[in-house]
Amino acid sequence: MDYELNQEQQILKDAAHNFFLKECPSAFVRQMMEDEKGYTVDLWKKMAAQGWMGLLIPEAYGGTGGNFLDMAVLLYEAGYACLPGPFFSTAVLGSTALIDGGSEFQKKELLPQVSKGDRILTVAWTEGQGTYAPQAILTRAVLPKLFYLISGTKLFVPDAHVADTLICAVRTQEVPRDPEDGISLFLLPRQSVGIQSQLLKTMAGDKLCEVTFDRVQAHGKDLLGEVNRGWPLLKKVLLKAAVAKCAEMSGAGQKVLDMVIPQVKERIQFGKPIGSFQAVQYHCADILTFFETSKFMTFQAAWRISEGLSFAKEASMSKAWVSDAIRKAVALGHQVMGGMGFMEEHDLQLYFKRTKSAEWAFGNGDFHRELLAREMGL
Amino acid sequence: MNFAFTKEEEALIKEVRSFIGQERTPELIAESRDLGLIYGGPEARKFMKKFAAHGWLTPNWPKEYGGLGSSEIMTYLIRDEMAYAELPYIFVGAHMAGPTIMRVGSEEMKKKFLPPLARGELEFALGYTEPQAGSDLVSLTMRAEEKGDFFLVNGQKTFNTHCHVADYHWLAARTDLQAPKHKGVSLMVVPLNTPGITIRPLITMAFWRTNEVIYDNVMVPKGNLVGEKNKGFYYVMSALDFERMVPPGAYRKLFEEIVEYAKETKVGGAPLSKDPLIRQKLAQMATELDVANLLYYQLADILDKGKIPNYQSSMEKLFVTEVFQHITQTGMEVLGLYGQLKKGSKWAPLSGKVELFHRWSVVETIYAGTSEIQKNIIALRGMGLPRG
Repeated sequence: MDYELNQEQQILKDAAHNFFLKECPSAFVRQMMEDEKGYTVDLWKKMAAQGWMGLLIPEAYGGTGGNFLDMAVLLYEAGYACLPGPFFSTAVLGSTALIDGGSEFQKKELLPQVSKGDRILTVAWTEGQGTYAPQAILTRAVLPKLFYLISGTKLFVPDAHVADTLICAVRTQEVPRDPEDGISLFLLPRQSVGIQSQLLKTMAGDKLCEVTFDRVQAHGKDLLGEVNRGWPLLKKVLLKAAVAKCAEMSGAGQKVLDMVIPQVKERIQFGKPIGSFQAVQYHCADILTFFETSKFMTFQAAWRISEGLSFAKEASMSKAWVSDAIRKAVALGHQVMGGMGFMEEHDLQLYFKRTKSAEWAFGNGDFHRELLAREMGL
Repeated sequence: MNFAFTKEEEALIKEVRSFIGQERTPELIAESRDLGLIYGGPEARKFMKKFAAHGWLTPNWPKEYGGLGSSEIMTYLIRDEMAYAELPYIFVGAHMAGPTIMRVGSEEMKKKFLPPLARGELEFALGYTEPQAGSDLVSLTMRAEEKGDFFLVNGQKTFNTHCHVADYHWLAARTDLQAPKHKGVSLMVVPLNTPGITIRPLITMAFWRTNEVIYDNVMVPKGNLVGEKNKGFYYVMSALDFERMVPPGAYRKLFEEIVEYAKETKVGGAPLSKDPLIRQKLAQMATELDVANLLYYQLADILDKGKIPNYQSSMEKLFVTEVFQHITQTGMEVLGLYGQLKKGSKWAPLSGKVELFHRWSVVETIYAGTSEIQKNIIALRGMGLPRG
């Protein structure tokens, strides 16, 4: 047992913390919420120069060759800073799908570009039913002749409006008895004829899109992994992305604490700092407990992924716990911050909105408790 | 970071588990439940003779005092294993008094007490709480008056749980009336058969026993003083940083039994475990237990790194004991009407264990510092908030 980061991870953490402090202040976050693209090329290039785009990508494909725990450390700081933009979609979501499921050719073609910051990825997964469950994947790919034709509508696709490559989950068979069968993944250039994406107006101003596919052509070589056997890969991506979201949420939890503690020490009511009142202290103690337990659950799961151990249980426990715990921590933060924290100009609202979005991303508590129930043999 | 046990740790746990499997008798388990999982009963002492001979009762103690000089992780693992097996795992001597004697006791006291404590031959009872000094422990009024070479002790303690099965009282008494409250308390070791001590039972709603203890002109030799006079309150408080920890094992076992019950019990033609609501609840408990484990082993990791847990032990106690209550509540929800049936009732599921633990769990968030006290400590020491 060792609950501490190693020296390199600590260095990465400090570097990322300082980097985001400088490059991603709350004014920038707010600006990007309103911005249609939601990121700037300038910051994107700077992050690429740090080697972060390719943090998960093996060196053989131009990446930094870090492990999942390193990525969790980086995402923790990204979450702390409320980092906007397609970093998660590219460096975690899309990259994981490619690294875990791509052919040698696909990896050699795409991953070096991702590492350099020259290619933005995303995964087009959820649809009208609003769930990550396999039975909700209904976008259809038919193979009348030499190529597939893909038709359907995806919803809540992160950053599709700026992505270069979409990894699209489709049905290549009618929904069979086991909905996990018959799912395939295609790598599609976003500029393909028949793809249209439209930004959804979201609470957090993060960029989720509606993407329509109208008889989009795809070839066998565009398949990511085997035809009809896409779900196991997608499930793995789901669990890893869920843990990665937990890292972001944990970082957000740290930021909430950093806003709350000075406030309750300084704010005077009834002639005393409000942090001296037990009612407030109990809320604060609960925030700290929610935050620290979130961190432990996240890093335990991230560590297991890094070590190549089984991680299905830990990943789902982590997402179930952290989704709920950070939501409660933010709510308590609002409670002790009082009216001030309700103001748009205060940063706490940014974290309220972003952690809500993160709670739903890759399955909320209920969703992961059901996955865990299956892992438990219930 | 590393969230796994080493090969040696795994191997030791296997050995401990198989030993317990062989030596654990129905009589021992019955006694353990009757006593509320505290150590000191005759069956437990019989068992402990062999168990402690391996050094497993105090593995983290130095070899000269009967330990193995092992890591804290090893110690935490074994304690959790004992709790999981429903062995008595609440020790005052080996886990609380002993370590304090090791830190502040005289050489003579160490020699006299530590080896037999490590062998499980002696048990202590905590003598802290009084009718008017619960959470506000520093207000205790039991008086120890200096008379030549002994203290004359008078007063009353309450909720001193081990007293009816222990050999010694680990007594906190006031030795200075003039000094500020926290600078006038001393710790002393008192044989519980000393004339003038009366132990009366208080029966809990979990049906195990705690005690009130009356001291009427009890003579305690000065040599029984632990460490320095008037430093007792500091010793008590600093000991809590080292020793406040709650192994989740006993309730993890209960949870596993509830899960099995849910899988095997059919309602409306399908197992309870297929009910979406029950699946959610059981998965939530599994998750909370995992969090509890991480908080528990974090304490060992802090100690093994040569540091002293601070607010972290309060967080562990707070969280783990609340999980205990969630587990029995979940068990009650899974069992439905059957949940109220006691042991001995012919329809009682799991021999009435859920019903028993449900009553029992009420005290978990109260003893050894209530949840509210733990939250105060977290706020003051973990976050540096100002005192009220």
